[in-house]
Amino acid sequence: MQHIRNFSIIAHIDHGKSTLADRFIQRCGGLSEREMSEQVLDSMDLERERGITIKAQTAALQYTSRDGKTYNLNLIDTPGHVDFSYEVSRSLAACEGALLVVDASQGVEAQTVANCYTAIEQGVEVVPVLNKIDLPSANPERAIQEIEDVIGIKASDALLVSAKTGEGVEDVLEAVIRRMPPPKGDPDAPLKALIIDSWFDNYVGVIMLVRLVDGIIRPKDKLLLMSTQAIHLCEQVGVFTPKSQAREQLSAGEVGFVTAGVRELQHARVGDTITLVNRPATAPLPGFKEIKPQVFAGLYPVEASQYEALRDALEKLKLNDASLHYEPETSQALGFGFRCGFLGLLHMDIVQERLEREYDMALVTTAPTVVYEIQLRDGTVTRIENPAKMPDPSKIDEIREPIIETIIFVPQEYVGAIMTLCTQKRGVQKNMQYHGRQVMLTYEMPLNEVVMDFFDKLKSASRGYASLDYEFKEYRAADVVKLDILINGERVDALSLMVHRENATYRGRDLVSRMRELIPRQMFDVAVQAAIGSHVIARETVKALRKNVLAKCYGGDVSRKRKLLEKQKAGKKRMKQVGTVEIPQEAFLAILQVESK
Amino acid sequence: MTPAPAGIRLGVLPPLALYVHIPWCVRKCPYCDFNSHQVRGDVPERAYVEALVSDLELALPDVWGRRVTSIFFGGGTPSLFSAAAIETLISAFRARLSLAADCEITLEANPGTFEAEKFRGYREAGVNRLSIGIQSFEPKHLKALGRIHDDREARRAIEIARDSFDNVNLDLMYALPEQTLAEARADAEAALAAGTAHLSFYHLTLEPNTLFYRHPPALPDEDAAAAMQDAIGAALAARGYAHYETSAWAKPGRECRHNLNYWRFGDYLGIGAGAHGKLSFPDRVARTARWKQPREYLQRVAEGRPVQEIREVGRDDLVFEFMMNALRLSDGFPVGSFVERTGLQIAVAEKPLREAEARGLIARDHERIRPTDLGQRFLNDLLELFLPDAKRA
Repeated sequence: MQHIRNFSIIAHIDHGKSTLADRFIQRCGGLSEREMSEQVLDSMDLERERGITIKAQTAALQYTSRDGKTYNLNLIDTPGHVDFSYEVSRSLAACEGALLVVDASQGVEAQTVANCYTAIEQGVEVVPVLNKIDLPSANPERAIQEIEDVIGIKASDALLVSAKTGEGVEDVLEAVIRRMPPPKGDPDAPLKALIIDSWFDNYVGVIMLVRLVDGIIRPKDKLLLMSTQAIHLCEQVGVFTPKSQAREQLSAGEVGFVTAGVRELQHARVGDTITLVNRPATAPLPGFKEIKPQVFAGLYPVEASQYEALRDALEKLKLNDASLHYEPETSQALGFGFRCGFLGLLHMDIVQERLEREYDMALVTTAPTVVYEIQLRDGTVTRIENPAKMPDPSKIDEIREPIIETIIFVPQEYVGAIMTLCTQKRGVQKNMQYHGRQVMLTYEMPLNEVVMDFFDKLKSASRGYASLDYEFKEYRAADVVKLDILINGERVDALSLMVHRENATYRGRDLVSRMRELIPRQMFDVAVQAAIGSHVIARETVKALRKNVLAKCYGGDVSRKRKLLEKQKAGKKRMKQVGTVEIPQEAFLAILQVESK
Repeated sequence: MTPAPAGIRLGVLPPLALYVHIPWCVRKCPYCDFNSHQVRGDVPERAYVEALVSDLELALPDVWGRRVTSIFFGGGTPSLFSAAAIETLISAFRARLSLAADCEITLEANPGTFEAEKFRGYREAGVNRLSIGIQSFEPKHLKALGRIHDDREARRAIEIARDSFDNVNLDLMYALPEQTLAEARADAEAALAAGTAHLSFYHLTLEPNTLFYRHPPALPDEDAAAAMQDAIGAALAARGYAHYETSAWAKPGRECRHNLNYWRFGDYLGIGAGAHGKLSFPDRVARTARWKQPREYLQRVAEGRPVQEIREVGRDDLVFEFMMNALRLSDGFPVGSFVERTGLQIAVAEKPLREAEARGLIARDHERIRPTDLGQRFLNDLLELFLPDAKRA
């Protein structure tokens, strides 16, 4: 066990985590040159394109140190985005050490700070590494200062590397051995294995990536998953180099995979503890949480006939994404579709994109919404994931909305703009610290304000320099109201949204004027109204077209005019009919851009 | 692909009209997508007249024994042809067809091809109605439309026409490039001043395969165009012209019989290059099209096969095509005529009719179905309801 090191890499997107991991694998001979496609740890195309890691993967590396001894280094990859902070915390719980990789020219970013704090809280030894020192803009002194200021750990001995050129990579591996402690644990104690990650494989079912804290796990063991009390027969254990290699056993301190004929991902939840049926552990490992989706949106096929195909696609995605929730939903405006729950906006983006790209689906997505807690007058509490399902206001005692605590890192020159933005979004400032050229802002903010367009706004207000991390804090009573959009007096369910009462009028007006631009003129005036309950707060009219006639039907040739009518009809087919009004798809998306100017 | 036979039975065959296409013009107008060709050198008048007669003879078996209620010389510019040529044709038609005693014989004419002599000749040849392509009385608009005539020639043409004919139509257009409401009104007044029996006002539309479609001029917007239509309609109504079809106005009893026959889903035999026809038989309705290019048409006639395409109209298409024509008429149609012309019961169209009624596009009782004012203004939306759903070949 003295020759084992379990560690992960904490880094902001683009600061070079994947490249560094690739170097480690290369250095330790885990893959041949030919197999070494770039950034092997990010296995999905989409991840590679976005430069983010969605699912944690891992590599067991054999490293022969300068002292001549061979070590087993288990690199545990962590997802790099705000939506996956729980997965990050479980990955870190499986480590004794972590490399804090900071781009020497960019400095510390919000994401890094949040994850670093998580690591420190869990007692993980953090070793700072400054990457991209080959760049002319690299400024290691300033980056070191920032790490010490912001994170509060000693960084004067930070390692200087260039993952791109390979410079300093071996020093990092040496530091992993010397500065990070080996795992502790008792191979003879009852089995306690932490599920770091799980995913679905078509051939063997669910694969669980585990860290053994105590005990030993072997094929044919009867395994007990402690949160669900499900029992499965262990089929195979092994490690990733990053290729999978079967082993006879995994024992305390090691990281590897387990297959046990589990068919459903929900049965092998990240953070759960595996033990043996015959000799169970007395208590599971701490920190298990059932993660719930925070953001919901309706996903509808553009063509009604694609409903079944969408269901199949969601089912397939769900196989490998336990945090994706969906259930059938019917909208009077959009027909049959699904209400989907996501961990956050990025997660939603990824799911949407995969549906469109991998499954060729054309989708209409309704505005994302958070989950509200509704205290009813009769004393019951209900959770609402769809504004259209909001109970009658007369029955509501109190509406509570999720509040997040967010940390924003931004260069000084943009602080003013960001503070204005946060205030607009009903944020309450909790802290503000200057760290050299960077400012760290801490705000409490309603999640609802963030799901609309906050990221885009943040990026544009800071020319892309602001970074952000957030976590759920609590539910808090809020004066939010349901804003309905009425088309010719009919409430369009798919367009309802929850807004703070103070912003309701502005948003109502903005949305209604945008809809007026998007709805084509028809045979009659179309009234577009925004209303809170029965109180109309904004109204616009799409003036009626005065006529729509073919001027001439000449020479007895009917075919040409007929084609024109067919074209007109086909155009209408792409619209959704609400009552007698035809509404183009874009109108449903307009709601996503509320307030953009 | 041939649509499934409609499986219909017609008790009586509808009235029959004859359409004669003359495919040449002095110059092709930039908005025109008719089968018309600019004259290069001499028009092969004689060869074409002979071809038309052969064409008719080849078609005779299809219309055997049926009385012809109207003849229409359309184009192109039929007035490019000499009075002698028109006389030869009308005589040939009389010899081979049974023309009704009051047979309406219309000839389309364009200012710029008017000589008093020739028009007296047309009258003597048997033409009893003239349709003149005025388009506008405003010189700058005539120029923009690429017409070969100016306003003076337009007025002169009307004068010549009125000397020989009492049944005259003027074709005008509105929503012309950069036209104002006042200018559209002035055109209407100028047309009314001519005092003809019939007036047609067409909304200028950009048709594919025209110069205007490729290089669109600045046209008045939808609202301005609608205002022009309203102003024109009001001016014409005030002077006793009834708006009996989308683009047609007439003094009482002077509606165009030939066009009314189209709109009432009557039959027409179309001869000449690119002419379309619709002929009913006891068990089917068929549409025909002649070869389009004049040279090719002449060649095909010589080979005894002037028809390029014959298509039997399927059941669903019969409903749609009937409505597409009949609902253009302000008075709509008697329910009985639907049954008579299509061989189908009105019940087959019940679903779209009910929808149209619910949307206020038609009004109906047990004997007549007519478009409402809304239905007339939104004819496209009304007709769309009758479009068959199935994908067609």
